[in-house]
Order: sequence, then C-alpha cells, then structure tokens
Amino acid sequence: MIRFENVTKVYDPNARPALDDVSLEIERGEFTFLVGASGSGKSTFLRLILKEDRATSGSVYVAGQNVANISSWRVPRLRRGIGVVFQDFRLLPQKNVFANVAFAMQVIGKSRSIIRETVPEVLKTVGLEGKEKRMPHELSGGEQQRVAIARAVVNRPGILLADEPTGNLDPITSMGIMGVLDKINQNGTTVVMATHDDDIVNEMRKRVVELRNGVVVRDEAKALYTSMIPVVGESRLLKDASDEELDRATGGQQ
Amino acid sequence: MRLAFILGEIGSGLRRNLSMVVSVILVTFVSLTFVGAAGMLQMQINQMKGYWYDKVQVAIFLCNESSTAAGCASGAVTDEQRDNLGKMLESPAVKQYISDFQFESQAEAFQHFKDQFSNSPIVDSVTQDQLPASFRINMKDPEKYQIISETFSSQPGVETVSDQRQVLERIFVWMNGASVVAMGIAVVMIVCAVLLITTTIRLSAFSRRRETGIMRLVGASKTVIQLPFILEGVIAAVVGALLASGTLWLVTLWLNGDLSRQFLNTPFISSAQVLVVAPVLIALGGGLAGIASLLTLRRYLKV
Ligand SMILES: Nc1ncnc2c1ncn2[C@@H]1O[C@H](COP(=O)(O)OP(=O)(O)O)[C@@H](O)[C@H]1O
Ligand SMILES: [Mg+2]
Repeated sequence: MIRFENVTKVYDPNARPALDDVSLEIERGEFTFLVGASGSGKSTFLRLILKEDRATSGSVYVAGQNVANISSWRVPRLRRGIGVVFQDFRLLPQKNVFANVAFAMQVIGKSRSIIRETVPEVLKTVGLEGKEKRMPHELSGGEQQRVAIARAVVNRPGILLADEPTGNLDPITSMGIMGVLDKINQNGTTVVMATHDDDIVNEMRKRVVELRNGVVVRDEAKALYTSMIPVVGESRLLKDASDEELDRATGGQQ
Repeated sequence: MRLAFILGEIGSGLRRNLSMVVSVILVTFVSLTFVGAAGMLQMQINQMKGYWYDKVQVAIFLCNESSTAAGCASGAVTDEQRDNLGKMLESPAVKQYISDFQFESQAEAFQHFKDQFSNSPIVDSVTQDQLPASFRINMKDPEKYQIISETFSSQPGVETVSDQRQVLERIFVWMNGASVVAMGIAVVMIVCAVLLITTTIRLSAFSRRRETGIMRLVGASKTVIQLPFILEGVIAAVVGALLASGTLWLVTLWLNGDLSRQFLNTPFISSAQVLVVAPVLIALGGGLAGIASLLTLRRYLKV
C-alpha cells in the first residue's frame, strides 16, 4: 500500500537530512506505529505520502503509484484516498460536528443526500452519536479528535495517517481514540500513526517502525515502544529479548 | 452541490472581509469612472467633430466704424468694396474651393447676437454698429482655409478672416487633454485597485487558511479551493464597475438635461452610449481582479 525506496528528504542542505535513505513497505490493512523522538522525521514521512513535500531522492509509492509521477492536478485524487488526523484536531470552530464532517464531503462534490446518509454512520463509528449539533468548543479534547477522525475517514480512504493524534489527550482518552483507530483498521483501512506515547504503543502491540535522526533503526511486528537494548542502527526482535528486558520496557505492566 | 458550496464560501468570504471588500468596490468604482470618463470624452469629441465639421464656416469680417485693423484705415466698408469681395468669391479661382456663401449684414448679425444671448444683459450694451457684417463661406474642403485667408485678409474693407474650425480645434485640444488626464488618473487608480485586491485576497486566504488546509487534505480540487477567492475579488470589482457605469449614466442624463438647455447647439453623447462603455468597464474590472487574484493565490494559497 505504501512503499518507500531509499527515500531521503533534505530541507536544509546545511543540516542533516530529515529522512535518510529510508526503505520500508507497509501492507494493505496494516496498522503501523511510527515512533521516535521529536525531530526524528515522523511528520516528514507522513508528508511525503501525501505529496505535501517532494523526496530529495528515492521514490515513494502509494497504492502502487510513484507519487513523484502524479501531476499536480491529480494530487487531489491521491489525497482523497488518504485520511489525515493531527495532534491539534484542526476542526472548523464555527461549524458544528455534523458540518465539520460534512465539509470533507461537500468540497469534493458529494451530493446532499449522500452526505445526510453517510455522516451519521461515520459519527456512530467514532462514538459520537447524538452529538451532531454540538460546536467544537462544547466538546472534550477526545471528542474533538473523534470528529477529526470522522472527517478523515468519511470519504472512505484506503489509508489513514495520524500524526500524534493523542499528543494533546490524557491517557484514558487516548486509549479511547486508539479503540476508534483500531476499529477503522479492522474495517480494512491501512493506518500509519506517528507517536511518542509509549503506553499506547505497548498496549496495542502492533508493528513499530522507529526513526532516529531520519534513519529507520528498528522495524518490528507486534512490538513495544522501545526495544530492550539501546539499538544503534540495527534491530532486535522482541522474541529475542530477555524477561528482565521485557519487564523493564513495559514498566512492569505485563 | 459543489456550486452551492462555492457560493456559500463566497458569501462567507465577502461577509468576513466586509471592510476590505467595500474598499475594493470603492477603489475600482473611482478608477473605472475615470476610465469611462476618458472614453466618453473621446466619444464626445468625435461626436462634436462629426456634427460641427459639416457646419463650420470661414467668415470674412468686414470693417465697421470702430475697426482698427490695417485694411480698415479708410473706415467702414463701402458698398463698392463689398461688391468687389462678392465678385471675388464668384471668380473661378476662389469658387473651386467653396460650395456656397452668404452675406450677413450688420442688422442680421445683430439679430443673431440678440437671439444667441437673449437671456443675457449683454444684449443691452451692444449696438448694431459695433457688430461687423460678414461673408459666411462653406468650404468644399475645410483644410483649404489657408487659401481663402491669404486671398482676402489683405483686401480693402476686410477686417479679418476667421476659421471657426480653429476655434473648435482649440476646444478639442482642451477636451483631448482632459481625457488624457482622466486616463492618467485612471491608470494610477487601477494600480491602487489591483494592489488593494491583491491585499484583500491575501488577507482572505490567510483568514481562511484552516478551511483551505482541510480542503487540500481531503482532496478538494484546485478550482474548488481557489474559485471562491477569485470570485470574491471579481464580484467586488464588478460591483465597482457597475457603480462607475451608473455614475457615467447619471452624467449623460445631466448633459442631456440641464446642460443641453444651456448649450443648445452642442450635440452631447446620449445615455445609450454608456451601454458601449459599461461592458468595457465591467470586463476590465472583472478581468483585472481575476488575474490579480489568481496571481496572488499562486503565491499565498498552497494547493
Ligand atoms: N518545513 C521544514 N523546513 C525545514 N526543516 C524542517 C521542516 N520540517 C521539518 N524539518 C526538520 O526535519 C526534521 C524532522 O522533522 P519532523 O519530520 O517534523 O520530525 P517529527 O515529526 O518526528 O518531530 C527536524 O530536524 C525538523 O527540524
Ligand atoms: Mg511531528
């Protein structure tokens, strides 16, 4: 579904690359965490998928298509196939919940009747039934993020990108959001989520791709937020970790 | 659906930027009024040329008692001198240039004068003796005025030879100058209008960056994202153009009403001629606003 081939992204020629020779494949229907410290290149990775930025070298493929070959007037079509949510929700403050979600359908020309039918369904999926008429400022952070997720998936994209979606939320609310994302993933949507929330990653046990200074230093299935031993440029699999390491990594929650 | 959506966006954009939109309307209104005024002055000049050039005459004014010109040293024109001039006008050498001529006596001149200034107290202070008799000549080719002037101005009994066309030319030069000035002001104002539209669109794009950001992310086309902004500028400019057209129309009403009663012989341009100017103003305003908005958006609105 998403493939990076030796992708390097340089913003500032005098600084180190934001992404450095990254090669990675994410399968259709997969749920992948992108972890790493601030500035490690997670957002850059997501932006390249959306063709918000161009790779300095290497190729990014989305649904089999090299995004570098998509002409600018067809970029909207690429983006219709990708939903995005952010840490700061980005709702329209003067529109209510229903209108915020409907907005994503209106701007691509969906008919009024389809909108009236689809929006309530999606709001139900994210657990916001009966809150259609609320304004964003009348919602908790978690509810606002649910609206944002509803808006991102209302056009049924094959891919959902989430850039630190729980960054502004408390742990319990965050878990609720993860439940929604998991549900969307179960429905067949490929989900890529950038985060540095270790509790969430450890709870979910999904694939973890770790970036450090733009380099992929780890790529493990059903993994924890940190690998057991500090890694430099190589990865170890979870099954190779000792019990003591596991215990330390999970903070004794196991 | 998409149309309804775009219209809604335009409406909210116009409302959100009301004061800027009003200023765009006013500036385009003023600048296009000057453009239209320049154009209509040109129309007025052409119309007056067409009307007057057929009617203008060369006049040979004859000496009266108070004449001071060199040819009038022997006092007022004599009957003999006058007949002599009449014969010269009939002679083949002169006749080939003129289509016809009339003699206007002092009595007729006084009568014309009284008619022309019937409302003015000046009539009472002028006597018949003070006005010159004249030959009024219609030229076949008005450009040949020089020949008549050379032939007659040194004849005894002739005070002066005057070409009414020259008086008109002076008026036209003045009107031309006025239309050039109007055009100059128009150009400056249009530059202001374009800069203002650019700023307005930029502010509008900035104030709605959250919406456009979301539109981009969910895959709205460039048209859907940009059109509301472009139309916002175009609509404001077209409203300005309509106001300008309306103003020019009022001016023609005034020309053909009050003013034409004062200048009975002047053929003023009609209100219908505004219909020629208005579409040009609307196209100019709308086109400039559209181009200015498009170029601004290319820089300030990522799509
Ligand atoms: N638009 C940009 N211009 C210049 N440098 C940037 C830009 N975006 C990100 N960077 C740099 O690229 C690196 C990776 O940033 P980012 O992808 O945002 O990391 P993360 O999302 O993991 O915090 C950082 O060093 C950041 O300063
Ligand atoms: Mg980031």
